[in-house]
Amino acid sequence: MSLIIKQLLLHTRSCAKFRQPAICNIYNYSTKATTTSGSNNVLDNITDWETLSKKKKISKAMKAYLDRAQEHDEFMKRQQFEYKIGKRHLANMMGEDPETFTQKDVDRAIEYLFPSGIYDPAARPLMKPPEEVFPARKAAEFDEAGRPHHFLFYTGKPNFFKLMYDAADNIKNLQSFEDKVIRKKASPDPNGSLNLNTSVWLTKDQLEQVLVENITDLEYDNFKAVMERLASLPYSYRFKEFIEKFRKPLSSQRFALEIPKPAYDSEGRAFITTYECLRKKARGDVTVKSPGTGKITINGKDLTYFDDVQSREQVIFPLIFTGLLDKVDVDCHIEGGGPSGQSGAIRWGIAWSLRSFVDSNMLQQMQVAGLLTRDHRRRERKKPGQPGARKKPTWKRR
Amino acid sequence: MANNIRNINKCIPRNSLSCIVPRLLTVQQYREYARPTSFPDFFQNPIFRKEDQAKLIESAELPKIAALPVRPPAVYQTSSAYHDPLVNKVINHVMEMGKKQMARNLVEKAFENIKRSQIERYHLASTPEAKAKIELDPKKILHKAIENAKPLLILQPIKRGGITYQVPGPITEKRSLFLAIKWLLEATNEKERTVHFPEQFAWELLDAANNTGKVVKRKQDLHRQCEANRAYAHYRWQ
Repeated sequence: MSLIIKQLLLHTRSCAKFRQPAICNIYNYSTKATTTSGSNNVLDNITDWETLSKKKKISKAMKAYLDRAQEHDEFMKRQQFEYKIGKRHLANMMGEDPETFTQKDVDRAIEYLFPSGIYDPAARPLMKPPEEVFPARKAAEFDEAGRPHHFLFYTGKPNFFKLMYDAADNIKNLQSFEDKVIRKKASPDPNGSLNLNTSVWLTKDQLEQVLVENITDLEYDNFKAVMERLASLPYSYRFKEFIEKFRKPLSSQRFALEIPKPAYDSEGRAFITTYECLRKKARGDVTVKSPGTGKITINGKDLTYFDDVQSREQVIFPLIFTGLLDKVDVDCHIEGGGPSGQSGAIRWGIAWSLRSFVDSNMLQQMQVAGLLTRDHRRRERKKPGQPGARKKPTWKRR
Repeated sequence: MANNIRNINKCIPRNSLSCIVPRLLTVQQYREYARPTSFPDFFQNPIFRKEDQAKLIESAELPKIAALPVRPPAVYQTSSAYHDPLVNKVINHVMEMGKKQMARNLVEKAFENIKRSQIERYHLASTPEAKAKIELDPKKILHKAIENAKPLLILQPIKRGGITYQVPGPITEKRSLFLAIKWLLEATNEKERTVHFPEQFAWELLDAANNTGKVVKRKQDLHRQCEANRAYAHYRWQ
C-alpha cells in the first residue's frame, strides 16, 4: 500500500511539473547515435554505455551524457518496476485478476480508492505508465569523440530546423514538378488533392513532444506558415505522409455511431428516450414516439409551458427541420434553468432521439445544421477584482 | 467490487443514494468542472436554413461539411419560414437592458399595425392595379425601409493643420445597415409621449419604405453634405 501511495505521490508531483507528458516520441524525430538500435522506444535505444565507457578516448561531453543516460535508464527501470507492483496491488485490492488488469481498470480503481474533490482534473491522483509520465529524452547527439551526428546540431534545435529544411525542400520539389507538368501540358489530378478540412495542425505543445525540443512562439508560427504553404501547392498530395505527420484529426462523426434501435410500447408504437438532455442549468429527458400526431408534452403541459415564442420555436426547430412536426409525439420532463436553457435542452433531446427515425441524408443535414452538437457552454464565473466575468472596472486616472 | 457499486448506482437514482452512503459514492457523484464558455475556432458555423442547405446538396459539399464539428444554432435561430435575420437584428436594436421578449413583442406589434393599415388601404383602393401595388407583407416593408434608409457615403472628421474637416468617404455594408436601423429608431423615439412605440415605428417604416419621411430625408441630407464637402475628399489619403 505504501508503495502505491509513493508511486501516486511521485506521479502526481511529476505530472504537475510536465503538463502533458503523454505520447512519448510517437514520431521518432530524435537524432540517434550510430551505436543505438532503430527502435521507437527511447528506453530501448539508449546508448550502450557499458561498451562505450570501455574505450579510452572519450570526450567529456560524451562521458557526461553516458552518466546521465545511465542514471535515467536506472530511474526508468525502477519506475516501471514500481508501476507493475502497484498495478498488481490495485488489482488485488479491487478483487480482480492482476494479469488482466489494464490501464483503464487502474484509472477506475484510483478514482474509487482515492476520491478527490480537487477542481482541476490534472491535479488529481493518477497512476500511469512511467513512459507517459516522464517526457521522452533525446538519444546521444554526438559520437565518442564529441562530434555531433546531425548536420544541424549547432542550430541548437536540430529536429525543428531539419523539419523546416525538409518542408522547404519539399516545396522546391513540388514547384519543379509543377513546372514539368506544365511543360508536358497536363493538368493536376483532381482526386489527389489533400483534404485539410477534417484535421488541424499540431499545437505548439504537441509539436514540442514530437520533436523532443522546446520551440518559441515565433518558431511555431514559422512552422505553420511553411507547412500551410506546402499544403496549398497544387501537387501537395505527393507529400501527403509528410504533411499528415503534423496534423491531428478533428473529432469524428459521433452522431452516426450507435444510433439506438427504437423500443415498442404496448400500443405498438416505436419510441426512443434520450436521458441527460443538458443545456445551461437545465436537465431533463425526452421521449419521441412514432407514429404520432404532433402532440408535444412538456412537464404535463403542452407547448404553452413556455411563455415566450422564442422558446417554443426552439422546441419545434428539429421537428420542422426534419419535416416530422405532425408525424411524431414528444414527451419531455425538464427541470432546472430558465426557459432558454430548458428549450435548448429539449431541442437537443428531440434532435438526438430523431436520429432513429430519419435516414442518413437527413442525419447529415442535421449535423450541418448543428442540431446534433451538444451545447456544453456554461455561465463563466465572476472574477475577483472585476465586476463580472470579463468586465473590468472603469478606467480612472486616480 | 467496483462493478457492483457501478450497477447499484445505475439502479437507484443519484440523489437518494448519495444521501444513504455519501462516502461510498464520492467517485460517482456529479462534479462541476470549469466548462468552456465558447466553442473552439475549428467549429464551423451552422447552416440551418433549408434553402442554404439545398445549395450545398446541389454542389455535393454537404458530406464534406458533415464531417466537421459544427456549433449548435443560437437560441434565436431556427429553420422556420418565419425566421428572418434582419428582423432579429432590429429586435436586438430595439432591446433595452436585455429584455428581449419585450423588444420582440414591440416589433411584432409594429408589424401588426403595418399589416392593419396596409389592409385598410388595400380595401380602399378602387382599381385592381392600385391594389396590386400595395405591399401587404410587413417583413418586406421592413426590408424595403431599411434598404431606403441605408446611406451610401459617410463623413469622417479628419484633422489636418489643426482644422478638422468633414471628409466624405465610402461606407461599409455593416456600418450602413447599423446607421439605417439606428436612424429609424431615433426617428421613432422622437414622438409624443402619448403615442406608443409600435404605432410610431410602423409609421416610420411605412414612410421609409415609401422613400419619404424623416429617415430618408436624413440620408439625403448626409449625401448632400458629402457632395458639398467633396473638395476635402483628398484628405482621406493625403
